[in-house]
Amino acid sequence: MTTTTASGVPVPGQPATGRAKARDQSLRKARWPPALIAGTGLLVVFTAIAIAAPVFGNPLHQNLLSGLTPSGLPLGLSWAHPLGTDALGRSELARLAYGIRTSMIVAVVSNVTSIAVGAAVGLAAGFFRGPVEAVLMRITDVGLALPYTLAALVIAGLMTAGLTRVIVIITALFWAYPARLVYGEVLRLRHRGFVESAEAMGASGTSIATRHLAPHMFPLLVTYSPLNAASAVVFEATLSYLGAGINPPTASLGNMISDGQSALSYAPHLLLVPAVAILLITMSFLLLGEGLKARNPDLKRVSWLGR
Amino acid sequence: MARTLIRRIAFGVIAILGVAVLAFLLEFVVPGDPARAIAPRAQSAAVLENIRIQLHLNRPLIVQFADYFGELFRGNLGTSYVQRQSVTSLIMPRLATTGWLALAGVVAEVIIGGALGILSTLYARVRAVVAAVNLTLLSLPQFVVGLVLLLIFGFRLHMAPVTGGAGPAEIVLPALTLGLVGAPWYAQIVADQMADSLASPYVRTAVAKGLPDRYILWRHVLRNVLSPAITMIGMDLGAYLSGVVTVEVVFGWPGIGLLAVDSLQNLDRPVVMGTVIVGAVAVVAFNLIADVLRMYVDPRTREEPA
Repeated sequence: MTTTTASGVPVPGQPATGRAKARDQSLRKARWPPALIAGTGLLVVFTAIAIAAPVFGNPLHQNLLSGLTPSGLPLGLSWAHPLGTDALGRSELARLAYGIRTSMIVAVVSNVTSIAVGAAVGLAAGFFRGPVEAVLMRITDVGLALPYTLAALVIAGLMTAGLTRVIVIITALFWAYPARLVYGEVLRLRHRGFVESAEAMGASGTSIATRHLAPHMFPLLVTYSPLNAASAVVFEATLSYLGAGINPPTASLGNMISDGQSALSYAPHLLLVPAVAILLITMSFLLLGEGLKARNPDLKRVSWLGR
Repeated sequence: MARTLIRRIAFGVIAILGVAVLAFLLEFVVPGDPARAIAPRAQSAAVLENIRIQLHLNRPLIVQFADYFGELFRGNLGTSYVQRQSVTSLIMPRLATTGWLALAGVVAEVIIGGALGILSTLYARVRAVVAAVNLTLLSLPQFVVGLVLLLIFGFRLHMAPVTGGAGPAEIVLPALTLGLVGAPWYAQIVADQMADSLASPYVRTAVAKGLPDRYILWRHVLRNVLSPAITMIGMDLGAYLSGVVTVEVVFGWPGIGLLAVDSLQNLDRPVVMGTVIVGAVAVVAFNLIADVLRMYVDPRTREEPA
């Protein structure tokens, strides 16, 4: 479709009709884009691991007799301990499975909570104009200007360690962006015919917001949520690494890496095993997001895998 | 243009004040007694009470609030509970240390991201490779990238120091960490903008005129990348100056983020407040500077729809 000059600079080619046709074809082909298949497949695997975590052993059992070398160092990879043991003689495989469970729970729950709060704020701000809009959007600006990690550490000081703390922190920091997204979308839609005709028919503000505008937010939010979930997984790991999320002995990929850091010079697998797990979980959410975007031509522009 | 600027400055100031108020209130809810943190082994209640009176912690919240913000408007960030010196004198050197890292990090991002973006636009064969690299870098938390770099270049290859500190040798790995984690965003912008302008009528005209490819690339295509890249650089500089906490913790880089973490642990409220406010100011200021610069290089952005 595009011709290329000698040095490889593509030159625009066909007029609009050709392009529209090509888009049609690419849409048909992209019904199940590879990214969507890969992302969904990986997520199914991780969900299965999260559910079946107890199968992989007890993450808290310290095997002091056979779980450490005679000089007390963690074991490397072997048949008895497929991913080795950590500095306390605990099975790294079992801890990994429970760490994945933690990450998946955080991803799903905090994703729902932060998007729900953000969508409600954005919808309200976009629909009820005037003072409500001004106040809500200024609060959203504050939410976006917060130094994330510091704010998280301050909030962490208010609560006891655990899943709830992580989810509250992520919700408190992650709602602002979807609020902005939804607000922008409502601004785009609020002068469209269907809103105005509902107004003309005397529908109340709340009914227009919930029955006419909210359904239009779904494609946007469904596409955004895998990215949000990926950020949540990364942020949970960061919090737990800094000691502000899930504390030992409960396993989280972040605090496993924190443990691994002190063994960096003699047991690098304690860093690499949880690191690869974070990489794959986050990547599977991103791939899912990419796949969803590939199915939606409006959002394809913001794709990471090219157009 | 002036109106847009004034509007943006006003919103910026409101956002900074909002962050400051929020941080102030949150800190008071944090359980823990600063007096106890200052004198952990104090036996008598009278000693602790004395400390509280000295720090004005015995006054009602509303009075402390008014005091703090009154001083803040005079440019005074208060005195550290623990270090017994002014918060400004504690923060300024740390801000400079973080500033170097932020600058080096942004340079690394622009180089790595720019290279990835240009490669994937101009050479179709590497497009899939670049996409895979982008996706991998996007999927990794900053501290994981930092630790893996530390493992490879510090512990295995012995090419970089592993002890922490702020020097020319110590800056390489943290800056590279920031660069790698930030690169995909720049690669994306560069690739997007280049694709847009390559498909534009003015590039078609330039090709038709018979201008050399290299000239078209530099004068017409890459120039368009400048404007969104400036916005991005501004956002990143602001965000990094507000403390690259995890990177500073991983590499022991004595910047403002590390100061904030230490002060949080010591319940040193004035210092925490100071770092949060300085951070918010950095975010807002650099976004604003970036917008002004952008209006300068790209006339199309001068009129912002209200």
